[in-house]
Amino acid sequence: MNGVRSLASSERRRGPGWAVRAIFAATFLSAAFLILTPLLALLHGSFQTGSPGGASEFTLRNWRDLGSGNIVHTLFVTCYISVATSVLSTIGGAGLTWLVYRSDFRFKKSLVGAVGLSFFFPGFILAMAWVILASPGGIFNDLLGHVFGGDDPVFDIYSVSGIIWIQVLHIVPFAFFTLRGPMIAMDSSLEEAGYASGGNPWAVIRRVTLPLMIFPLLSSLLLCFVLSVEQFAIPAMVGIPGHVNTLATELYLLTSFSPPNTGLAAAVGLAMSAVTGLSIFAQRRVIARNTAPTVTGKGYRVRPLALGRWHWAANTICLAYVAMSFFIPTLALIYTSCIKFFVANPFDAAWTFRNYQQLWESPGTLRAFWNTLVVAGGGAVLGLTLGTLVAWFTHRLKPPGYRALDVLAALPFGIPGIVIGLGFLWSYVYLPIHGSLMVLVFCYVARFLPYATETVGAQVVQLDKALEEAAWASGANRLVSFRRIILPLLRPALQSGYFLLFIAYFREIAAAALIYTASTQVLSISIWAFFENANWGVASALSIVATIVTVALMAAVMRAPLKV
Amino acid sequence: MGIGVESLVKKYGGKTIVDNVGFHIADGELVSLLGPSGCGKTTTLRCIAGLETPEGGRIAIGDEVVFDAASGVTVEPYHRNIGMVFQSYAIWPHMTVFENVAFPLRVRGASQTEVERRVVRALDRVGLGAFRDRSSQQLSGGQQQRVAVARAIVHEPAVLLFDEPLSNLDARLRDQTRAEIRALQRELNIATIYVTHDQTEALSLSDRILVMRDGRIEQFGTPEEIYARPSDMFVAEVVGTANFFDIVVDDAGLGRDSGGTVFRTAFPGAAPGKARAMVRPDRLRIGADDGAGGPNRLRGTVRQRLFMGGYYEYVVETASARPRVLSAEAFAEGTPVVLSFNDENCIFLARD
Ligand SMILES: Nc1ncnc2c1ncn2[C@@H]1O[C@H](COP(=O)(O)OP(=O)(O)OP(=O)(O)O)[C@@H](O)[C@H]1O
Ligand SMILES: [Mg+2]
Repeated sequence: MNGVRSLASSERRRGPGWAVRAIFAATFLSAAFLILTPLLALLHGSFQTGSPGGASEFTLRNWRDLGSGNIVHTLFVTCYISVATSVLSTIGGAGLTWLVYRSDFRFKKSLVGAVGLSFFFPGFILAMAWVILASPGGIFNDLLGHVFGGDDPVFDIYSVSGIIWIQVLHIVPFAFFTLRGPMIAMDSSLEEAGYASGGNPWAVIRRVTLPLMIFPLLSSLLLCFVLSVEQFAIPAMVGIPGHVNTLATELYLLTSFSPPNTGLAAAVGLAMSAVTGLSIFAQRRVIARNTAPTVTGKGYRVRPLALGRWHWAANTICLAYVAMSFFIPTLALIYTSCIKFFVANPFDAAWTFRNYQQLWESPGTLRAFWNTLVVAGGGAVLGLTLGTLVAWFTHRLKPPGYRALDVLAALPFGIPGIVIGLGFLWSYVYLPIHGSLMVLVFCYVARFLPYATETVGAQVVQLDKALEEAAWASGANRLVSFRRIILPLLRPALQSGYFLLFIAYFREIAAAALIYTASTQVLSISIWAFFENANWGVASALSIVATIVTVALMAAVMRAPLKV
Repeated sequence: MGIGVESLVKKYGGKTIVDNVGFHIADGELVSLLGPSGCGKTTTLRCIAGLETPEGGRIAIGDEVVFDAASGVTVEPYHRNIGMVFQSYAIWPHMTVFENVAFPLRVRGASQTEVERRVVRALDRVGLGAFRDRSSQQLSGGQQQRVAVARAIVHEPAVLLFDEPLSNLDARLRDQTRAEIRALQRELNIATIYVTHDQTEALSLSDRILVMRDGRIEQFGTPEEIYARPSDMFVAEVVGTANFFDIVVDDAGLGRDSGGTVFRTAFPGAAPGKARAMVRPDRLRIGADDGAGGPNRLRGTVRQRLFMGGYYEYVVETASARPRVLSAEAFAEGTPVVLSFNDENCIFLARD
């Protein structure tokens, strides 16, 4: 024993307080730099006459121009689209949640799986598929024209309702996943008491379930609203051609087309952030007020409500949703990627693999693959590391100043992607990383920091503090206990955090749209660019290849035993 | 060796949780920290383990000062030679039973053969020899508790710290495990602090009991001392059931209750005036009323009788109180009885 014991006493030193403080300071400064720099730059830009890096002077004009008819109109359109999207998505999500967790719906597992698939289906690819399907020259209109005659297209995706339609398809899974937790946690004996008191199913839903779910529903509504306001790819792909602009696309147009008005764009961006920031703030308040009784511990299984003859309605609606949000768009893309020139009728099509071949032969595309790998694969490591540190400090160590860090790290939730991109555009010209992939990485790390902190934080909170203390009491110093105890226990959260970040970085267009350069182009941007150039075939082929590669990579990452 | 704590002070946000606590524990001695919930037992233990940094005082483990506010010494928990059993057991779910127990040896750089030898011995000691390759998630509460104990003793620490290790076990298992912990501690002969708010546990396990109240030491002594001669009413109630009788003490040191019964104690020194006499239920003898008078004889009537298995528990109404009495003899409710007790089983306490 002596050998063992003397080791403990020979290695005496004063507390590691300074090291923890240094790491905290580094974390705080990194987060502050990444998040505050673009915001401050925007603020600065909103008072400038010129563009980033160019000659410019102070002005109040941009803020005055916010009140101009055009911007106010765009604001109304944005609000209309977003309110409609959030209401419809929440209703859809709530309906699906109820079917899965309260009824005897037969295909629960498949439904949850399919909803998960559409959750990870990138919005810009969905939008692209729907343009192929429902634009005036698209597949649906062509088919209907053949059936009914007449030349007027039945569907026009390039419209306000087109934007709402695609956004709802895209956001329903999000509503489903936010409502699922509260629904599972809700004490179902309260509903059973409703039935026992003689309530019919509809009365119980209306008088018990809905009132109990009111806060989660409100919260979902607000989150969907924010997602819709900040949505860029969908309105850019179907709105701009139809001359329907939202604040996000307006900001993009102001910046990208000459003469650029980057100052006004900055003011629009800040105004947008005010809207989304306030919504997020309201959502947090709503969550905090949620007092619905929840089941603690295991609880017993809910007796599912029999759908009876409504089964067919439920089956049809779910099948339709899954088809519209995932399977038909995917088929449309596969089809488009395999034909020479776009025709709606497969029997008229000239089949080819040329589109795929072109990907391989285009150096720009290969470069985009490599860039995406660096940005999504490597950037996610950076984002996850920062997120984990933030979560650890705000939930566990709580050094002085941790509240400020908490607020700081939650800020990007309220800042639309295109606005963060614009902020980087306004600031990076002054930074040495100008024009390198690092700009994109920093931008993504900042934008998606909350994803990482929330995912890891949820697990940190669950982790019994005594597990780490037991390691210290056993003689393991902070580093060893972190490596041997904390890291392995956080592994599931770290893996899913990495997964989330990778997907988010991979499919991001909004934040990159304003700051990519020819040499830093990433896959999402390439696909978009091909599509904008009416090169639907190559865009589709690239979407499919990119999706397959991602899925394969992620499967490898999730399988890899992250041995530490 | 042992543990020395001097004028320990710990505050949370301006509130003093541990208030000037000091005590010494000899090598091989088992001391219980006993007190009601929230009195600062866990906090004191965590200060000794180094999991909390006190605001003031000195702590020594063995010959070594591990904390001294005056000279600014703070030794990290992992450099204190301790073994600790947490209330939640804190068994690492991602390690097998063997790896859990091996951890303190591994981080100290012990050789593989050494690890093997010691872990097997520790597991055998707690009766888990057959469980070494089990995943720690397939253990019952009692087995987890044993793994936690094995992990705490495997590196033969200078002190053992227990925080309510039995509070998550059911009553039967608790009795059995209590005896095992005592035997193990005797065998290892390590200075041990045992936090509990269970009086039976404290009385049966400890060499000495340290009774705490609101962050202060109320009394520190052997179980027998504390049971028979509590320093005040608080301690009397913490370490068992107590019957109190309101009395007035005269200059001769004799007490008298409102019914005129004279109380005599073997422990003189109570100030004249209002006081309380305390007699434990098991030290009161109950008998049929034979009309005889004298000191330490209380007349009363049986008001309630509960059959407890091996004995009866009575509530008897006397002139000044309704004491509880334990006896194997049967008396019907309503029977007039006399309660008597010896001088050394009666103690006068200040009314507070
Ligand atoms: N981290 C903390 N911050 C603020 N107050 C605390 C903290 N930890 C403990 N306290 C307070 O210190 C007091 C003593 O707590 P402690 O855990 O030491 O009590 P205890 O005697 O172990 O009680 P129990 O028998 O319930 O375990 C309590 O009033 C508690 O509320
Ligand atoms: Mg405690």
